[in-house]
Amino acid sequence: MSDRTFDAVVAPHLDAAFNYARWLTKNDADAEDVVQDAAMRAFRFFASQRGDNPRAWLLTIVRHTWYARVAQRSTRPQTAEYEEMSDPRTGDQPSPETLLLQRQTVDRVRQAVESLPVDFREVIVLRELEGLSYKEIADVAGIPIGTVMSRLARARERLLGLLGPVPATGEI
Amino acid sequence: MTCQEAKPLLDAYLDRELGADDTALIAGHLESCGMCRQYLEQREALSRLLQRLPYHEAPATLRTTVGRARSSTVARRQARAWMAAAATVVIGAASVLGWQRWQASTATSGLASAVVSRHVESLAGSQLIAVPSSDQHTVKPWFQGKLEFSPPVPDLTPAGFELVGGRVDRVDGRPAAALVYRRRLHIINVFIWPASDDARASDARTIRGFHERHWTRHGMSIWAVSDVNEDDLTLFARTFDPE
Repeated sequence: MSDRTFDAVVAPHLDAAFNYARWLTKNDADAEDVVQDAAMRAFRFFASQRGDNPRAWLLTIVRHTWYARVAQRSTRPQTAEYEEMSDPRTGDQPSPETLLLQRQTVDRVRQAVESLPVDFREVIVLRELEGLSYKEIADVAGIPIGTVMSRLARARERLLGLLGPVPATGEI
Repeated sequence: MTCQEAKPLLDAYLDRELGADDTALIAGHLESCGMCRQYLEQREALSRLLQRLPYHEAPATLRTTVGRARSSTVARRQARAWMAAAATVVIGAASVLGWQRWQASTATSGLASAVVSRHVESLAGSQLIAVPSSDQHTVKPWFQGKLEFSPPVPDLTPAGFELVGGRVDRVDGRPAAALVYRRRLHIINVFIWPASDDARASDARTIRGFHERHWTRHGMSIWAVSDVNEDDLTLFARTFDPE
């Protein structure tokens, strides 16, 4: 096993690992700890257990690391701090009202996702934010593909229930 | 197919996870069933909302810590195997090399990230398409006078990629032609600009869940980015530029 191969394989997926951990832990500090531990584990098992899908493999390790930490601690921090997301639209100058509306929308959606039970939350994050296939989600979460499908359907149902009817375009 | 049969499959249909037979059955059912169409439309709208959630990128400090911790693991392992004095030299060199490589890979990903950002912004904004047309002979001439180069606009319909239109865009400060193709519900943005000397030959990445293919052809730097699965995007790139 060479150091370079580990870099080449894992470094491109560090963002995905952190994003997933951040949605699981709901705060930056814990997410950093989880990913750091996970990266160490990944490095240790790199030669033996990598498989052919490094992203799913790394996310699986992130998940195991997080669950191990939760099991260890009797209480885990629930305070979800949240840094302002800069609005990505810079080309067309939206009005302050539009900006406010957009921020409120994003904030409502974030709160809805964070309020989901963790097994619902993670399938939403893995599918909608990471774009993983059902097979990959099944591998990461350690559940059958059929369960991925039904869990995703229920998670979406729950989100739509929380957010109310979503117009095809625009804000909620 | 009845609603009762269709409903459990609608999410998988939306996610393009059904086989060809089921996909055709659902598509047929949707034509006649407003309820299921609405079910699907709500989920598509929800999906677009979720795309706008903050993507938490790994902080620079984390990248550094992971890099360092990894180097020290290498160090421990090598120290066990080799004589201590010799190992010290090797570790020193290995850490420096690893660190330089880490930094280099971070730096070159800048443009790739910028392309993904423009893709996301174009989907969120109202200016995805300035010239709506599925006809390559309408889209290609449209760029004349708007850009100092003429981008290739191939017809990819036979491969299942429908041309939707194009627009003039800017990526990382440079003017770019942006072509929009569609594969079912998925939008593919293709950004094209004249290649400079520092352009990398070809590249495949996944950033924030979006897949990206980059190659250089006839002096053009071409970037395809989408949330379609990797195989589809590879097929797209290969069809776009068969050579």
